[in-house]
Amino acid sequence: MNVVTRSPKKSRYSAFDADLTGKALNYRMFVRLLGWIKPYWLPMLVSIVFIVIAAVISVMIPIVTGRVVIDTIMLPRPELGHLPDYGMVDLTEGIASGLDVHLLWAATGVWLGLTLGSAVARYIHRLTLSSAVLRALRDLRNDLFERLEDKPASFYDHVSVGRVMTRVTNDVSNLFELLSSVGNLAGEFVPFFLALFLMWNISPDLTLIVLLILPLVGGAVTIFRRLMSDTFRRVRNSVSNLNQYMQESLIGMEVVQLSGREERNEARFGELNKTNRRLQYKATNYETVFGAFNNSLGNLVIACIIYVGGGLVVEQTITLGSVVLFTQLIGMMINPVVMLSEQFNTLFRSMASGERIFQALDWQERVKEPDDPVMLPETVRGEIEFRHVNFGYYDDEEILHDVSVKVEAGRKLAIVGATGSGKSTMIRLLARFYDFDDGMIFLDGIDVNRIRTRDLRARVGVVLQDFHIFSGTVLDNITLNNPSISDAQAKQAARRVHAHLFIEQLPDGYDTYLSERGQNLSQGQRQLLAFARVLAADPEILVLDEATANIDTATELIIQEALHVLMSGRTSIVIAHRLATIQDCDHILVLHHGVVQEYGTHEELMARGGIYYTLHELQFQDSRAVEELLGALAGEQRPSDADDDGA
Amino acid sequence: MCPGQRPQNAFILARFPGEGAGSNWAAIADCLPRFGQYTEPLYQRPRRKRALPSFENLGHLKRLYPYFVRYRIYLIAAVVGMLAARFMEALVPLMLATAIDSLVEGQGPPNLLWPAVGIAGVVVARFFIFIFARRLLRRIAIATAYDLRKRIFSCVLRQGPAFYGEFDTGDVMSRASGDINSIRGVVSFAFMTLLTFVFTLATGLIFMFALSPELALACLIPTPIVAIVGARMSRRLFPLVRDQREAMADVTSFVQENFNGIRTVQAMAQEGREVARFGQISTRYASLNYRSTKYRAMMNLIIPFFTSLSPLIIFSYGGFLVLEGELTVGIFTAFFAYMAMVTGQIGQIGGILAQFSSSAASAQRVFDIIDRDPEIADRGRDDVPARIEGKVEFKDFSYRYPDAPEDAISDISIEISPGETIAFIGRVGSGKSTILKALARLIDPPPGSVMIDGFDVADYSLKQLRSQVAFIPQDAFLFSDSIRDNITYDDPTREDAPVWDAAEAAQLADSIREFPQELETMVGERGITLSGGQKQRATLSRGLIREACVLAMDDCFAAVDTRTEERILSGLKSLRQGKTTFLISHRVSTARHADRVFVIEAGRIVEQGTHQELLDRGGFYSNLAHVQSNQEKDRARKLELLSMLDIEVPEAGNEVVDK
Repeated sequence: MNVVTRSPKKSRYSAFDADLTGKALNYRMFVRLLGWIKPYWLPMLVSIVFIVIAAVISVMIPIVTGRVVIDTIMLPRPELGHLPDYGMVDLTEGIASGLDVHLLWAATGVWLGLTLGSAVARYIHRLTLSSAVLRALRDLRNDLFERLEDKPASFYDHVSVGRVMTRVTNDVSNLFELLSSVGNLAGEFVPFFLALFLMWNISPDLTLIVLLILPLVGGAVTIFRRLMSDTFRRVRNSVSNLNQYMQESLIGMEVVQLSGREERNEARFGELNKTNRRLQYKATNYETVFGAFNNSLGNLVIACIIYVGGGLVVEQTITLGSVVLFTQLIGMMINPVVMLSEQFNTLFRSMASGERIFQALDWQERVKEPDDPVMLPETVRGEIEFRHVNFGYYDDEEILHDVSVKVEAGRKLAIVGATGSGKSTMIRLLARFYDFDDGMIFLDGIDVNRIRTRDLRARVGVVLQDFHIFSGTVLDNITLNNPSISDAQAKQAARRVHAHLFIEQLPDGYDTYLSERGQNLSQGQRQLLAFARVLAADPEILVLDEATANIDTATELIIQEALHVLMSGRTSIVIAHRLATIQDCDHILVLHHGVVQEYGTHEELMARGGIYYTLHELQFQDSRAVEELLGALAGEQRPSDADDDGA
Repeated sequence: MCPGQRPQNAFILARFPGEGAGSNWAAIADCLPRFGQYTEPLYQRPRRKRALPSFENLGHLKRLYPYFVRYRIYLIAAVVGMLAARFMEALVPLMLATAIDSLVEGQGPPNLLWPAVGIAGVVVARFFIFIFARRLLRRIAIATAYDLRKRIFSCVLRQGPAFYGEFDTGDVMSRASGDINSIRGVVSFAFMTLLTFVFTLATGLIFMFALSPELALACLIPTPIVAIVGARMSRRLFPLVRDQREAMADVTSFVQENFNGIRTVQAMAQEGREVARFGQISTRYASLNYRSTKYRAMMNLIIPFFTSLSPLIIFSYGGFLVLEGELTVGIFTAFFAYMAMVTGQIGQIGGILAQFSSSAASAQRVFDIIDRDPEIADRGRDDVPARIEGKVEFKDFSYRYPDAPEDAISDISIEISPGETIAFIGRVGSGKSTILKALARLIDPPPGSVMIDGFDVADYSLKQLRSQVAFIPQDAFLFSDSIRDNITYDDPTREDAPVWDAAEAAQLADSIREFPQELETMVGERGITLSGGQKQRATLSRGLIREACVLAMDDCFAAVDTRTEERILSGLKSLRQGKTTFLISHRVSTARHADRVFVIEAGRIVEQGTHQELLDRGGFYSNLAHVQSNQEKDRARKLELLSMLDIEVPEAGNEVVDK
């Protein structure tokens, strides 16, 4: 016997909804990400090897121009031969003597080979990197989806679907950006250090000048970032305000027009639009200055190199080719810094995304599964027992008090009660949407907590008030893509619940495409489709929350008939709103504030002359009448608006 | 488990792979033909058609002309500035060449200071010119986007059902944000790049020809190939990127649907199967993303083969020219810089053209909306009375919605005198709302068929008509604003008293008093959530506060319970004394408050008369009344039951909300 911890307080869930912002580089996150990259270590390794190769090659190219062509071929300076050329001179001379061609031809060949070699190496790097990263993140996305799919109803009660969705879509995409921008930065920074090494070997003095520039760039970048980040945030806010206002106006356009608000709204939108324009102007100012700064730097450094380096050439410390080499390497020094500054925001945004993803992966809320599950036989009899059930969603509340009821196999129980009486909770517990203590609910005498959730749910068919349509064909919506249900079986099920009639009339019959909200179906039709879905799955136990929606009289009769078919030969527990449904059941349970008020057969309760008797006397047929009356019973506290049962 | 087949059980049973153990998912990928190849979408869904970017509809960009012709002076200034900046960039290699050449031995004293100062000077000047020009251009782009957005908003405010039947909210929003941004991109960037393209090319070439004509000529030979290859390859990238985007849209909508229906998925024990399906969809996305990345990488591989041809010529031919003494080392190095200027431009041209064609498609989509004339024309006559009395007349009124196969209503003729209360009753879709929508001109009735005080509704200005004929729509809709702003939506300057009166009349006042900040309580997304009934009563207050001479209530009580409805309607009796009131309902309990009741079926009046007359006639209305009467029955018994239960259930009153 273990006692469950109830679902956490609502405030805990706000952590899930909170805006996480990546404050600093989170190394642990990278380490965890490596776990997903591990299966693709080979392409990743190849990718790293080739970016280093590409970097080495791209540093060699200026050596060919500067040291080989200028210093060796055009203006030979053998006395300065000690300056490094990393074997390029020897290579060129070797090729020239080997093939017996002019040195310049050999140099051209080397240059071409290096240029194309660098392109090929980068190509291989890109392919392997993106293949590894895309697959790794695909796996991460799938794992994340799988974890979220398993979260209990208590989780989805508290967090918004939008938030959950963003984690699987945008956040993972942001991580992709992060990983590829880390890849790109690596592609820039490897040459950076190689170039630095080369420059230092040629002339430490000149290198120092270049190095003096870098802190300057870094400082400017930081200042710009700080100035811009606030403005950019305000721009984003104003854009979202603008869009929100427009969207709301579009949705409520009829009200806008009927209230004669066109001019007023236009003025309001105009203000928002103007604010946006003002902020955009401001952001543009920063951006242009920053952009101009970035692309002026290179030439400024070149001016310094010319002046200082030229002096060194005159002093015969370095060669002219080295000066040219320096001017060509400048790009490699500045690009990474500029790029880093440009990708700063991306980096931090992705960092926050990573945190959100791992938070969702680590969210330890899951429907409790038994350690040694009881395997159910091929067919179960379907006896359901609630034994002294006490339950509340939170520690300090109780929705159900000592509810005990036994439904014999094949029998039908109608639950009657007001909004808030706990009747929905009863069926939700039976479907194991929430965790509860052991020894409270039994299927064929087996504690349901000892049955694996999936096994239990395969035997308990639940029809909720709100029938969810998945975008797909009518047939898909009946079978839910379950391969063990054949198309013929699905159509047979639809026929038995009389859904066949209206499905045939749809443009493409069973292949008609239904959109998510199912605008193309009426309430009644959706109800019939829900019945067909459950009948096709053919569970031994049926749990049904009867829809309260207003349905026209003809469809209403069809639904009654279909419900009869659905319940026949099945243990059924029904939250009933209609008299006809109740009369179809063997027993009736009147629930009030989580307490069983009355229980018995129709005749017994009628004889007893209690609540049920009175309800029956009032001949409720309309769900509204029941709701209203029971709302009144609840003590007139709640204005009993015809809201659905909190679903 | 390859596309087209249904997932097999092996995957359904595959439970959590450990963290980072991707092998299970890799298995899914293995059955796709090959990672990085196109596969058909796994689940077909109707997709919103988007105009494909193509060079044919570049003409749509002409429509933007009036939007920036007013900035032409700034535009010219920006162009001149940009050209100047380009020219200055071209000076740097020249000065560098001068410095290098002066260092070559035997050329006299080195000339280092002036080139260095020159470069620094050019850099500083270019810095300011560049800022000036780029900033101007961007401002023009921002202003254009601002104007377009303003036009769109002003346009959608004056559209009616035909427009909103054609464009849904998401569609209009994507045009107003995404498409306008795309236009902004073309104005601020692509346009200028195209303009300076020729100039930069020319500058680079002129400098090259001036320095060494023969080398310049030789360098030019491979450039057309670069241009052709670049443009071709970037064009072929389009469909790949589109497929990738659509695959991502599939991922998003799958996830959204799944989480929205998570209860159903869990109740039907479908998690395993959904996870397997998701695995396929997300693999397809990764695969198509890889496909387009592969293509991009390929472009980056192939294009250098062509762009390195010209430097190759400089290297070999130019090198020999140096050795022969016909070219200096400085000019040799400068050629590389000029060549980069030329090929860089040519390489970009493909991308720029792509941007142009996609913005052209965007412009078309934006003007699709802006070009719409207001659906309900506002051409009021001057001779209509300033105050509407409330005499309403429908004369052989028929109406058909655009693109509908049959009339929504046909041949409705009713005369209503001021002060009367009229009810329309009928099934969903019988056309009863259409009749009342014509009164407030939410739809445009045929001339002469709907008259108020003897004048056609179209003779009144929309402003007057809609302020004196209040129509309360069926769907309760609240703006995310305070409750006060929602009730006084038509005129925010109202005092407190009428607001409370209207709330009182709609039985909302008590609820408001319980709200944390009473009238100032925010509702909607950023505030408290109201129940369906509260929303509807707030909507009702918004209509009642106007005390209009003609009030049309379109089934405003669907979410309000019958007792409250009864109280509201009884209250309205005195409030609406002498004013014309229309009620639409499917409940007899509502209709019985009217002086006359019309039963509408398939757009026609099938029964009419007073409540009592219709009951006596024994038709549709009396059947309906019979079925619905239970609610009215036996009030005394209800009360008795109540008192009985109060004793039986002492804890009644603890409000428990069922989760």
